[in-house]
Amino acid sequence: MTKLIRRWIPSLLFATLPGLTVLAGYLSPDPVLGYLRDRLVEGAVIVAAFAFLLGAFNILRVHGGKIGHREQGWPYSLVLLIAMMVAWIPPLLQSLVQRPQVQETLDDVTHALFNYVIGPAGASLAALVVFTLTLSAFRLMRVRRSAGAVLFLLIVALVLLGSAPFIGLEWLANVRDWIINVPGMAGMRGLLLGVALGTVITALRVLFTSHRPHSEF
Amino acid sequence: MDVGAILLLILSALILAVLLILRGRKGPRPKIRPLPAFRDLWEEAGYAAESGGAVHIALGGGGLNGEDAITSLAALQVVEALADTVVSYHAPPVVTVGDPTLAPLAEDALRRAYERNGIPELYDPSSVRFVAPTPVAYAAGAAHVAATEHITANMIGGAFGAEVSLIADAGAQQDQTQLAAAADLRALGALYPATDRLAVGEELYTAGAQMTDERRYAVSLVAQDILRVILVLAILGTAGLAILGGW
Repeated sequence: MTKLIRRWIPSLLFATLPGLTVLAGYLSPDPVLGYLRDRLVEGAVIVAAFAFLLGAFNILRVHGGKIGHREQGWPYSLVLLIAMMVAWIPPLLQSLVQRPQVQETLDDVTHALFNYVIGPAGASLAALVVFTLTLSAFRLMRVRRSAGAVLFLLIVALVLLGSAPFIGLEWLANVRDWIINVPGMAGMRGLLLGVALGTVITALRVLFTSHRPHSEF
Repeated sequence: MDVGAILLLILSALILAVLLILRGRKGPRPKIRPLPAFRDLWEEAGYAAESGGAVHIALGGGGLNGEDAITSLAALQVVEALADTVVSYHAPPVVTVGDPTLAPLAEDALRRAYERNGIPELYDPSSVRFVAPTPVAYAAGAAHVAATEHITANMIGGAFGAEVSLIADAGAQQDQTQLAAAADLRALGALYPATDRLAVGEELYTAGAQMTDERRYAVSLVAQDILRVILVLAILGTAGLAILGGW
């Protein structure tokens, strides 16, 4: 009986019932179901916001521990924690101080943090992806010399060259378009249909309480 | 919503429910198609753990409240499946997440594995790490973990884009055993050159069936395969009718 209560009640109350209500809210034009759906989705957003707070504590625990134990690379952890604290100050002060001049200054500081620190750092990291992708291609030829690997690289090269405006090689653009629109699109459709099926079945498993990632029971 | 989508949803629910009722508890475990990406993964994880290193599991930037929720739940099955193996070797896994909503579930899966193995006192909550909320920053942080923390096996599964190449490259440079499972096309393009253990698209959702003995996962994979056959027949039938109608 206890196992039944511990297994079924939480799963039905917190997984199946809200899940079915939200699903019904999207499928049915009934305004009551629509209202319930919106409230439940709002609730999920609030829970997610609290999860961000947990995430901040997680960062404090992991990097605080590294600093405390002087683990390898601890100065980076220190920089991370200082940066996190500094980034919190302007929005926190904005909610406390209501004077327009202060608000404007804090707004500028927040924008400067995004425009001159977070944005360029993110762009630099994104640029690194080009190098790692190229390195992977080289590594592929070194580690796996198969017909599939050669075909993969050949198509990558054709699509890349077809995107460049070479005079006299306009036919490459046509080859690129054909690769993208015929075999590429067919493969993508098949893949997306498979992913959609996998998503539906996994979601139904949660709704049926057959998969309970939140519970041991 | 489209009527076809509603019908597909109802059909999926019916097939899964019938299979769960008929094969969920009784009879032999349904046979499932083996996938090369998951073959001998337990042994590989065991060897990696035996060698004294840790296993890194990167769950991607998806969380529980967005469009990647189901992909992230499917990836979480990799943690659930591998946790017992690596914990039994006393090799603490490192799980990195890019969305804090996923962290409590991953922490819980690990904690339960330690409890099942009778060593709850060895569970370290900092084994699960929220790295960063943006995809590229997360990938860079997870790559740093893979490169610097004496990792011997790198498992990548969940919601990723092309930036996953940073994590896979870090693993390849350290000569780590790598498994990757992704549903996004950009991630698959980036991962194909990095590892030959690649679960493509829907194969990510079969991780539970491939990596555990749980009947419910095997049953749901059978339901998925039945639906696929129905879908293929429907597509071919519709195309055939369209061609005949055109004539």
